[in-house]
Amino acid sequence: MPPFEGSAPPTYNSESNIVTIDVGGQLFQTTKQTLTLAGPNSLFARISDSVAQTSVPFVDRDPDLFSVLLSLLRTGNLPSKARAFDVQDLIFESQFYGVEPILVNSVSNPSQFEAFNLEKSTLLPLNGRDSPSVIASTPFGSVHVAHGSKITSFDWSLRKKSTILTQFTAVDSMLAISPSVAAAGATDFSGLQIIDLENGFVKQSLNWENVTKSSSTVQAIGASPECLFVSFESGRRNSNSIMVYDLQSLSPVTEISHCEIYGAELNSAIPSTKLSWVHGRSLLMASGSHSGPSGVSGTIKFWDIRSGNVVWELKEKVDCFSDVTVSDNLSVMFKVGVNSGEVYLSDLRTLGDENPWICLGDKRKGINGKKEGVGCKIESHGNQVFCSKGGDIQLWSEVAMSSRKSSEDGLEDRVFRKNLMGKVKDMGGSKITNLAFGGNKMFVARKDQQSVEVWQSSVRGF
Amino acid sequence: MDEPTSHFPSDRIKLNVGGKLFETTISTLRSGGPDSLLFALSNRPNPDPNPVFIDRDPEIFSVLLSLLRSNRLPSTARRFSNHELADEALYYGVESDLKSAMSPPPLSGIDASHISTIRPASEGFASAFTAGANDGSVWIAHGGQISSYDWNLIHAGTIRTHFEDVTSICQVYSEVAALGSDSEAGLHFYDFSGGRNVGSVHWRDPSDPRIFKARVSAIADSPSSVFASFYCPHKENSVLVIDKSTLQLQSEFGRQNGSSAKNLVPDKLTWLPERGVVVGSSVTCGAFGFSGYIRLWDPRSGGVVWETNEPGSGRSVRFGDPFADVGVDVEESMLFKVCSKSGDLAMADLRSLKEDPWIYLQDNNPSLKTTKGGNNTVVHCYKKQVFVGRGGGLEVWSRVANSRTVVEKENGVCEGLYRRNFVDKVEDSERGVIVKIEGGGERLFVCRENAEGIEVWESSNSSTVVSLL
Repeated sequence: MPPFEGSAPPTYNSESNIVTIDVGGQLFQTTKQTLTLAGPNSLFARISDSVAQTSVPFVDRDPDLFSVLLSLLRTGNLPSKARAFDVQDLIFESQFYGVEPILVNSVSNPSQFEAFNLEKSTLLPLNGRDSPSVIASTPFGSVHVAHGSKITSFDWSLRKKSTILTQFTAVDSMLAISPSVAAAGATDFSGLQIIDLENGFVKQSLNWENVTKSSSTVQAIGASPECLFVSFESGRRNSNSIMVYDLQSLSPVTEISHCEIYGAELNSAIPSTKLSWVHGRSLLMASGSHSGPSGVSGTIKFWDIRSGNVVWELKEKVDCFSDVTVSDNLSVMFKVGVNSGEVYLSDLRTLGDENPWICLGDKRKGINGKKEGVGCKIESHGNQVFCSKGGDIQLWSEVAMSSRKSSEDGLEDRVFRKNLMGKVKDMGGSKITNLAFGGNKMFVARKDQQSVEVWQSSVRGF
Repeated sequence: MDEPTSHFPSDRIKLNVGGKLFETTISTLRSGGPDSLLFALSNRPNPDPNPVFIDRDPEIFSVLLSLLRSNRLPSTARRFSNHELADEALYYGVESDLKSAMSPPPLSGIDASHISTIRPASEGFASAFTAGANDGSVWIAHGGQISSYDWNLIHAGTIRTHFEDVTSICQVYSEVAALGSDSEAGLHFYDFSGGRNVGSVHWRDPSDPRIFKARVSAIADSPSSVFASFYCPHKENSVLVIDKSTLQLQSEFGRQNGSSAKNLVPDKLTWLPERGVVVGSSVTCGAFGFSGYIRLWDPRSGGVVWETNEPGSGRSVRFGDPFADVGVDVEESMLFKVCSKSGDLAMADLRSLKEDPWIYLQDNNPSLKTTKGGNNTVVHCYKKQVFVGRGGGLEVWSRVANSRTVVEKENGVCEGLYRRNFVDKVEDSERGVIVKIEGGGERLFVCRENAEGIEVWESSNSSTVVSLL
């Protein structure tokens, strides 16, 4: 029942804090403070500015949707009656009033990510027959999925999608720069492309050339809040480099890790295939591995971008990583061993040790010849580490112990435990090829599946 | 600052629809166009605080009011069938707004899915269909009947023709179809509104006794004429030009005796408005593989502007790889063919035709490596994309936007100009061999062998989220 329906609006003076708005024939009352929460560019702010007028401002929109958005403005949360509407209606209406950011904040906020409460909730089908090769997500949960030569983008509510055609045969690495712009590259295509995903055109193409001026392919993309990092390898595979670009202007800042390969220097021939920014230490982790006749070998390097020096380098020979990640919150680096398939950790505070790895499983499996860890992915998000093994996802978390025994080197032993994610019916399945995180969601892509799984915890409002 | 308004402002209007009160602005009501009922209501002489009473359902009205306010349908519209919404929009006179809000987004082959199958109530195997109205509507010929489905794919009506089986259909006017059959002689015009035959054209020649019982193989429409290719039991064939205003025979061109594959009746005809020519093609599959021709006629002179025969004289770089099907992109003035042996797609610019105009398109998409030959291949160009049906699979070739990396290889092979992708999934391809593809509006219609009805493919901006909980 709308307030004051059928009766005259109450008298008020312009000095009062109370604002009356007529939306589609229904009267609403709120305070100026509530309206200013919507931000200076919103329609609400304009209404509150025009309150000095003697008449009640009239907005020709649906009153029921307005009442939901007014509740959102008052409390920061969606009322339960919002369930009666489709999220698309609310998004469109919030765009009309200019309060979409508040809606996003209340429904898809990264702070609502609860690792222990994630369940496989929805499936985003992709058209065509290509399965996803890379997933790139943004902090508020919109996601770009590269499949074949196409990139499909889903908005933060995952209800709207758009697909564009790229020049790549298949995209091998992708990074979301904003909800509508992504950087994409491939190991069989020269140059990194900055693609406008709304209109489907290449905004800019970034190239690196070695001394022979040959073409160069993209092996990995990473980003810090200011910089974009791209690992290039020359077309003849005889040189590689990591270029640092300014994220805003996309102009080159510096070049690190430039290697020209002469002769049989195997280690320098390995380009970096994973770049991740360690914010807490302002270091760039670059890792790359190579499978040779004597097994898999690889290197992990930590770069100081300003000086262009390697701060720490780790050469992996026994049970080399199949994937590696750094958890900033935990100050720990994790890897999955390619032979054992076990998770190892290394405290970033003990960097420099001869063998910094502590195995969190059966250490003896590391020296057997099997390759149980091939294709395993490991990613850290928040305070947890997610490791995919085949079709399952392990969730590693640290247990805070009250009595910490000090070990010999003065650092306390830290306790990490794993859990398998999902209900029994969600376990197994095809091999996981990608893990990504955005908003309160985790995105999972599997081999030969033309869809992306969304794992999320139940949200207020929807 | 506004003048202090009287106690009810003049730019607003109150409506009482079926007992529920609505308030909106005059400009919102007028957005439905000057012929609508709502526009008429907004024209009341002086502002009246008493609401206007309309004796209709308030729930549907609130959906349509939302549509007028925001140009999109709210989710509450799902409570009503498309039929109800269309009827109610017609009552208020806002069907054009509803049409634009309900039409699918631009058809993009790389992101289209099978959304429904139109199945006529009886004898559902379609023998021919046309989406010629270009608003997403379709006419389906099945078992001698023609069923029409409107822009919303709602069944608009069915008429019975005298044919046992209609094998070619072409829209001539918004309510008139030209029909032909390979079992009965003549081209016949049927009017939907009256449900009756409004004219017939037969190919007769008193000076040539071999011309009798001529049947229609293909029909094409142009603004002033209809072109139909006729053939006789002894394979003599010709293209007849029919005046659209009188539905009478106007002229004839391209008469041939049909003694070999190079002069059989054209089984595809397309009118090319840009150059004023008719493109005809014929493909036959015999014991020694495919053979056929593509020919361009100027209908005024009846002369051949350009032609190519395959297997040709050996000048073609793809000797021994004749085309299995031909498609014409009218918008872009391009000709496409699929090679029968290699399965490759080739294009030719209709503006600069020469002896061997073909550019062979190549794509290295690893998921598409298993290209079979051109058996059961269908090509259709629509909205600057080339849709190819290979057996049961549906693929699309889309032009890469301002591609800088076009690699031109020898023998006219070109890479990077077009990208090839599957439109369908493996499950879709198992529904049967595709026999005809046609685009209309923002939809793609696909007909399969031995499958009832016509499939409708659309692109969508909303993701079809599948809940797993």
